Amino acid sequence: MSDAAATLTQDRQKLEMATLSAPAVIFTVAMIAFPVIYTIWLGFQTFSSTGKQSFAGLANYSKLISDYEFWHGLWITIALYVLSLVLQLVFGVWLALVLFHAKRLPGIVRSLFISPFMMPPVVAGMMWLVILDPSLGAANYILQSFGLPPSDWLASPTWVIPTVALIDSWQWTPYVALIVLGGLQSLPPSVYEAAQIDGASPFKTFQRITLPLLLPTIVTAAILRSVDLLRFFDIIYITTQGGPGNASNTLNIYGFRVGFEFFNIGYASALMLTLTAIVFGAVLAFNRLRGAVAW
Amino acid sequence: MTDAANTDRWIRWLNTVQLVLAGVLIMAPTVWMVLSSFKPSFEVTAYPPTLIFTPTLDNYVELTKTTPFLSYALNSLIVTVGSTALGLLFGIPAAFAVSWTRISWPAILTLAARMAPGTLFLLPWYVMFRQVGMIGSYTALILSHAVITLPIVIWVLLPSFDGIPRSVFEAAQVDGCSVTRILWRIALPLVASGVAVSAILAFVFSWNYFLFALVLSNGDTKTLIAAAFNFMGEGSTQWGALMAAATLIALPPLVLAALVQRWLVSGLTLGAVKG
Repeated sequence: MSDAAATLTQDRQKLEMATLSAPAVIFTVAMIAFPVIYTIWLGFQTFSSTGKQSFAGLANYSKLISDYEFWHGLWITIALYVLSLVLQLVFGVWLALVLFHAKRLPGIVRSLFISPFMMPPVVAGMMWLVILDPSLGAANYILQSFGLPPSDWLASPTWVIPTVALIDSWQWTPYVALIVLGGLQSLPPSVYEAAQIDGASPFKTFQRITLPLLLPTIVTAAILRSVDLLRFFDIIYITTQGGPGNASNTLNIYGFRVGFEFFNIGYASALMLTLTAIVFGAVLAFNRLRGAVAW
Repeated sequence: MTDAANTDRWIRWLNTVQLVLAGVLIMAPTVWMVLSSFKPSFEVTAYPPTLIFTPTLDNYVELTKTTPFLSYALNSLIVTVGSTALGLLFGIPAAFAVSWTRISWPAILTLAARMAPGTLFLLPWYVMFRQVGMIGSYTALILSHAVITLPIVIWVLLPSFDGIPRSVFEAAQVDGCSVTRILWRIALPLVASGVAVSAILAFVFSWNYFLFALVLSNGDTKTLIAAAFNFMGEGSTQWGALMAAATLIALPPLVLAALVQRWLVSGLTLGAVKG
């Protein structure tokens, strides 16, 4: 083949490759990139009660700084995030170790273990709403039969966030466990054997060998969960809609209500862009951490 | 018996106990939901709660009688199948091109879109779809849900395409096959199982997605998930029907997930972990 013909084939191939990615790229730009730019523009607009639109500069953002509900929502978002993430990582690692040592697990058992996070979060919310009912729910019956005081769960301003964290952790701990299990299974068995020969206790082996080697996997799980947890929506919207009062009004719920219940599109845009910045900030920070703990 | 063997047996026993404990914690709420859906209406709200009862289908009958459950289910099916098909149509060629050229930005672009909060796009979508009179249309719902399915298809398929030896493609190229032909005739049959897993995951996550249909659907096109509020009823008297609805909504994703559970891990982590 001559050089010219080879270049021609290469150019043709490049063109064909571009054609293959084009539908996905055009679709994403049309559905995401363009609307996001539109949102950024909307964030600089105000809409009067008659629907008249005018340029507002940074008014929406300065409103954000002095808006009590924004700071409250940020605090709720972070509290829910930290609580849920810690619960899911701790119990996820525990469950992964249990599953790892169980060795051969029949497929049906595996299916049962993944069932919580395959069901819609909305269904999980409906289900737990019934279980956690303050007067007739099974959860309070169980507490009381152990002689513990009943709780108002989702109906209590104090307990609503821990309760939502508990529901989400029920759903996603098995997911974290499966990721960590994948990490455990890829560790070289030789390190355990060496530790055993040295007479290390199982706890010491875990603390000194398994855990440090697992850290990159755990950080991966943390990233995947962070993306969902920081924009927490479904379970809260179906169970409390941000209540009681504003006790579970996360930023995402607050932004949604500002946009679609109060139709303050300009301010809602500013809120959602801020939340998006927080999500991407967290992902980037964790990505750095993953680089630091890699081996 | 030696001490070591004794310790070994003790550890294994302890592990089994923990496994059972975890299994009970994970399964009990779902089992409770399913049980409640078969309880006679006076027993659903009985306190103390009952475990032994005469099962009945009354709640399911009532659900289909008092709510348009079946038409919501049909809406869910239309939106989910449509968005999964669209995700595959756009995602398969894109994944192949990214895997071949190692130019990864199209894949990263779709993933970044998946990471932003849905409300961020929902605001402009609402404004734009309203302007063209598409609020409540299946088209708007399918397009919005394809934003969920597309990155799933691309990222689940990437490792599958990467796994095909390059020599296979190079041989085909020497024979004068075009890139498009290589994709459909040679590569796609080799990653058929990956396509199946990506389709099922896309289906599950599209079926489960709440936010977009909440705003973009209307009374006629409401999906099951967005209609969840309609099943809540007033007060606690409707618990039986509510749990029947919850059970039926959760059934399709659970059955599909059970089918592919072995391949789920690497798919669900978007390739971050090889399962």
